[in-house]
Amino acid sequence: MLMTGAQYIESLRKLNTRVYLFGEEVKNWVDHPMIRPSIDCVAVTYDLAHKPEYEDLMTAKSHLTGEKVNRFCNIHQSTDDLRKKVKMQRLLGQKTASCFQRCVGMDSFNAVYSTTFEIDQKYGTSYHQNFLNYIKFVQENDLTVDGAMTDPKGDRGLAPSKQRDADLFMHIVERRPDGIVVRGSKAHQTGSINSHEHLIMPTMAMGEDDKDYAVSFAIPSDAEGVYMIYGRQSCDTRKMEPNAKIDVGNFKYGGQEALVVFDDVFIPNDRVFLCGEYEFATMLVERFAGYHRQSYGGCKVGVGDVVIGASALAADYNGASKAAHIKDKLIEMTHLNETLYCCGIACSSEGHATASGNYQIDLLLANVCKQNVTRFPYEIVRLAEDIAGGLMVTMPSERDFNSDLKVGRNGETIGEICNKYFAGSALCTTEERMKVLRFLENISLGSAAVGYRTESLHGAGSPQAQRIMISRQGNIEGKKNLAKDILDIK
Amino acid sequence: MKCGVRFCGGCNPRFDRGEAYEKIRTQLKDEIEFDYAKEDDWYDVILVIGGCTNCCASYDHYRTRRGVVKVYNAEDVDKTIQILKDFE
Repeated sequence: MLMTGAQYIESLRKLNTRVYLFGEEVKNWVDHPMIRPSIDCVAVTYDLAHKPEYEDLMTAKSHLTGEKVNRFCNIHQSTDDLRKKVKMQRLLGQKTASCFQRCVGMDSFNAVYSTTFEIDQKYGTSYHQNFLNYIKFVQENDLTVDGAMTDPKGDRGLAPSKQRDADLFMHIVERRPDGIVVRGSKAHQTGSINSHEHLIMPTMAMGEDDKDYAVSFAIPSDAEGVYMIYGRQSCDTRKMEPNAKIDVGNFKYGGQEALVVFDDVFIPNDRVFLCGEYEFATMLVERFAGYHRQSYGGCKVGVGDVVIGASALAADYNGASKAAHIKDKLIEMTHLNETLYCCGIACSSEGHATASGNYQIDLLLANVCKQNVTRFPYEIVRLAEDIAGGLMVTMPSERDFNSDLKVGRNGETIGEICNKYFAGSALCTTEERMKVLRFLENISLGSAAVGYRTESLHGAGSPQAQRIMISRQGNIEGKKNLAKDILDIK
Repeated sequence: MKCGVRFCGGCNPRFDRGEAYEKIRTQLKDEIEFDYAKEDDWYDVILVIGGCTNCCASYDHYRTRRGVVKVYNAEDVDKTIQILKDFE
């Protein structure tokens, strides 16, 4: 059953998720002005699945049930599925100009699906069957799931089991006949509050001493012992100001991150997908990271499309669109954006079937994709700021633009003065110019910069993580042999 | 004649696919019955409307008696209308 966006929002109200913000519990977090834009953003992933003009990307046929499911709940069965995933993410980036948060769940489903299959092959466990039951439940109910990998990590020079505080990595504190009890937290969790469930994975390669940290499971967001502390974003309280809709920049949609705490939470056995088989932590991490690095070749490209469009509008409204350097900057932004897309499509097209039958992206190309994503959005917004001009960060507030306080010699109001002096070309009203410039301010250094800049840098792994994978996958020895072959060196 | 319509997913359309469909449907409404393609139905022709030259919409799972017509740029909409007329 495919939910609509409105049904999804109502489904969140039924949860008893514990959410804390500014030192207090937020009882009605669905309607909280700081949180609601991120919920509305996820809702778009539901609504577009019902439209014929987007259905081909937004939905897939489940290989488990034969039913139509939202692609965010799909297990990829072909390179075509992998490419459509990236295209879907580009579409959603274009429609929201934001992080739409549902990708982490999809990427974790596919990583856990193939890894559990291989764990069972080696150890005769039943993790894969547990996961099949779980993913069918997710598909049938069209759920949003937070794929949770990142532990706070504490001292990065120490293994999980060697930390001064044992809870800095999620770990098993008790084993019972019917399940396990876990303690710890997951940091930077995108969309966690907007999720029905959480799928936990280990965050790094583990050794034998770290067995209790090699754990993967699924749990509802409102399970006993789970609570979330909302992450602040730049300029976030603008969303709470009255009469500041335009000042927010993107007043429709936004992203969200939180610290999700697991305070001795019981996980029943049928929801456990890894429990001590530490050598498989590496496989799970690499596969999830690979899928998630592929994702950025779609989502950030879609947001980039909107940034380019807004920059072009800013040039129009400034009356500068005919200038050769403006055209060239837009060309450069397009070049960089489409290069990211090339990477997303390439790693998808070069994907392959895993032992479980689902399709995995090409790991080298996915890491190249993300490595480029750590750089290009920064240059794209730098060029956007260049085109927009300094007014982007010096404009008066929306309240000033609408103020009827008389200040002029002839009775002019603040609003009239602002509209007079900040008028641009005849193509737009001053308000329209202001909207575009605030949008660019928001994406460059406001709350949306979290999703477009810093998330591009650190999301799905910081730059060094990709360089390690590129080094591992780069086949330097094979390339040496290529050179030797040309040069007749034995 | 019955025509099943399938859109691509619209990730980066170079033209307005909805407008193109509306033009085709309006000009041929007296001759052809249009509907969004469904898996269980039979169609005389499947019309695939792609937003760019990649035209990556999936359509193999639809059943058609006479074939598939694709349009993936604004310039070809009029030609597509003629092709569909000629199917009659």
